[in-house]
Amino acid sequence: MSKRNTRGVVALCALALAAAPLSVAHADAAKDVQVAGRALTFLENGPTGKAVLGVVFDPSKPASVAEKNAVMAAIGGGMSAGAVTLTAKPVEASAVPGVSGVAALYVTTGVNVGAAAKAKKIITIGSDTSCATSGACVMSVSADPKVEIVVNRAAAAAVGAVFKAAFRMMIREV
Amino acid sequence: MKKTLLAGVSATFILSMAATAAHAQSIDYGAMEQLFNEPVTTSATGSPQRSTEVPVAMEIISADDIKRSGAVDLPTILSRVAGLDVLNWGAGASDVSVRGYDQAMSPRLLVLINGRQVYLDHYGYTAWATLPVQLSEIRQIEVVKGPNSALFGFNAVGGVVNIITQNPKFDSAGSINLTGGTNGYGELSVVKSVKLGDRFFARLSAGTAQMDEYGRAGSTVLASQVTDPARVSANLDTITQLTEKTELRVEGSWSNVQVSEAVSNYSYSPSKYVTTSVKATLASDTKLGLLQASAYETNLTAKQLVASQQARFENKLDVVSVQDLFKIGAQHTFRIGGEYRKNEVNTAPLAGGQLSYEVVSVSGMWNWAISDKLAVTAAGRYDDLSLSREGTFPAGYPAVTNAYWDRSIKKASYNFGAVYRPTQADTFKLTAARGVQVPTLVDLGAVQLRATAGPYTVGVIGNPTLAPSIVTNYEIGYERPLPGLDAKAGVSVFRQKTEDVKGQPTSGQIDVMPTAPGVLPLLSYRNIGDSKMWGVELTASGKIEGGFHWSGDWTFTDVDDEAAAGFSPQVRLAAFSATTPETRANVSFGWANAQWAADGFFHYTGDHKAYLSTGALVSVEDYVTLGGRVARTFDHGITLAVSGQNLTDGHQRQTAGLEVERRAFVTLSKAW
Repeated sequence: MSKRNTRGVVALCALALAAAPLSVAHADAAKDVQVAGRALTFLENGPTGKAVLGVVFDPSKPASVAEKNAVMAAIGGGMSAGAVTLTAKPVEASAVPGVSGVAALYVTTGVNVGAAAKAKKIITIGSDTSCATSGACVMSVSADPKVEIVVNRAAAAAVGAVFKAAFRMMIREV
Repeated sequence: MKKTLLAGVSATFILSMAATAAHAQSIDYGAMEQLFNEPVTTSATGSPQRSTEVPVAMEIISADDIKRSGAVDLPTILSRVAGLDVLNWGAGASDVSVRGYDQAMSPRLLVLINGRQVYLDHYGYTAWATLPVQLSEIRQIEVVKGPNSALFGFNAVGGVVNIITQNPKFDSAGSINLTGGTNGYGELSVVKSVKLGDRFFARLSAGTAQMDEYGRAGSTVLASQVTDPARVSANLDTITQLTEKTELRVEGSWSNVQVSEAVSNYSYSPSKYVTTSVKATLASDTKLGLLQASAYETNLTAKQLVASQQARFENKLDVVSVQDLFKIGAQHTFRIGGEYRKNEVNTAPLAGGQLSYEVVSVSGMWNWAISDKLAVTAAGRYDDLSLSREGTFPAGYPAVTNAYWDRSIKKASYNFGAVYRPTQADTFKLTAARGVQVPTLVDLGAVQLRATAGPYTVGVIGNPTLAPSIVTNYEIGYERPLPGLDAKAGVSVFRQKTEDVKGQPTSGQIDVMPTAPGVLPLLSYRNIGDSKMWGVELTASGKIEGGFHWSGDWTFTDVDDEAAAGFSPQVRLAAFSATTPETRANVSFGWANAQWAADGFFHYTGDHKAYLSTGALVSVEDYVTLGGRVARTFDHGITLAVSGQNLTDGHQRQTAGLEVERRAFVTLSKAW
């Protein structure tokens, strides 16, 4: 193949790649919770075996309720995620100050329980990146189209959460 | 100025102290891969990274890829990686290179197992059959394309292959594989990991294989130059958890191998190797970061036919290294390291001399996650090599002394990479790297022999003044997932320059004329000029509903040799523009369900020239190979597989040596 033809092939491929349609990514509760559960195992003294995830929702917000329902359905009677088997219980946002028996709180979109969770020293995980970047959550996770994990260092320190060094080098910290 | 420097050092130290303590020693590749839904690696920068985010061109071959390849050796698996060239000299010997420049005893690809060098320093190449690893115990094979000397040091110039085995601490492994095949092929391998309490973990593996060598029909290879390949190897890998945050990993291996291979002058040799190695690595999470200290020794006995003379090389390599890996703040990851290595070998086939060098190195890496869209990495390394020679010289050689070998090679290498992700779908990578290919011990003087050239007798001796080859590589790559097709695709363009290419001794050019009666004319290794290459690589892979998957790649390279005055790359066995095929490509298809798996692999290599042992170049027509595997898994972890390689032809010319033959295998395996 001549150099001219080769360059043409390259240019065509680059154009085709750039023009290729990209499906709109959408949240998948089951995948996000899988990532959340596995990420928890990279905490120092993180959970092993069975762990309860509190799913925090605001009953006045339909989107929050819908996400809570999706997460509860995804976890079902138990979801294996690495070294942990997650079970879930719904927790109304107003009930977070009194919550107990949970390894972490999974915060549905649009709900902010950062202060209450910090007071309880409980790790909070959201599927919305802004939850972590704003400091309302310790960590945000999303599985599609690519696993993205963001940890808020200040929020993590506030609840005493320390992630393993190798994990920290592979995620985004803010 | 000194005060400023000290202040800077102090600040760095304090920042290091402030770096969050790490709490894991070994990297749990399996857990990381499951979390991020993609392989992870430390072979790009020394820091753990996701495969899609490494600032180098890299491909990772998974354990499942290896199992489904149906291959019985590593070069066959590597031949299916985009851009890799493989020269198959016999049923048990091959040379592998990245994006051209492949040759007999290919020196440009550094090969390691868990970071321990298995590249053989005496001649500077990898005898793949000597690797003390069973395919079934490999977690992944990490293939870096382009120089990565800033992390791995000398000889990581064309690329790096780092073979990562299962970790006895994290991976529970147990399997036995029995393979029989055509051409007298027989293989048995066993892998078993054990855990004793909560603090001691071990994995033991052993394997043996034998096969008939390819026939000599159609070649100029003599019966005395070949042997039926056979290998036996064993490996022990242990981890002791000393404290909650400190572990000691001790690895030991042994292999005993015989193969028919082409040595660097393209003559065949019925070679025998015995290798041993012991490595200890102490890793600890401290307030200063992930601290790691390792020491290993490898010993090689190589018996090879060099210019029709039996040569026995005893090569001993000792390496001690330390490194610290730490993260400061949210955006900065650093690695600092130091290494000492000593390498020694005897002269052969004419004995009497002992050659050795010591290398002191310092290295560093800085990864800066500037934003969620952009990260840059800069790594550098400085190596200081001191060469020396002891012993006597053969009769008839010019009057030189060992002092002529007292020289040093001081070279810096670097890797720079930027990864830009403007969207969640688009990834651009821009890399620049400079690698150093140090002359081998043989090049520097370990080989010394007398040979006849027509009516004359000449001497061959290494050249201690040989300059290292410097490889500079620039590359830009673009990757994009295609979710609608459940696929991904990428394109990369690269440009590379090799300065001070090494040329082989040749009877076509005398390097040192006789200075007095009775003194032999000498042939030696010389720097013969530069070579430039540019190329492009296209890759794509995807899945189709129903358990199907596919992949395809195409790599074009254009090599242009620029000889220095007075030298001919062809005469010096370094005509890479002729011997490098312009194109190579792969297409694979596969399907699997709970019980069955079927895979097929097509590989294409374009036409190119190949060296005969006479130094003449002959044409090798382009060729297509087909490999495949069909497997059925039964209860209790039992799998029965039928596989084959080179299925398109009974005999196929891929080099100027032995023709590659069709091979078929049946494998019965049990995993527990």
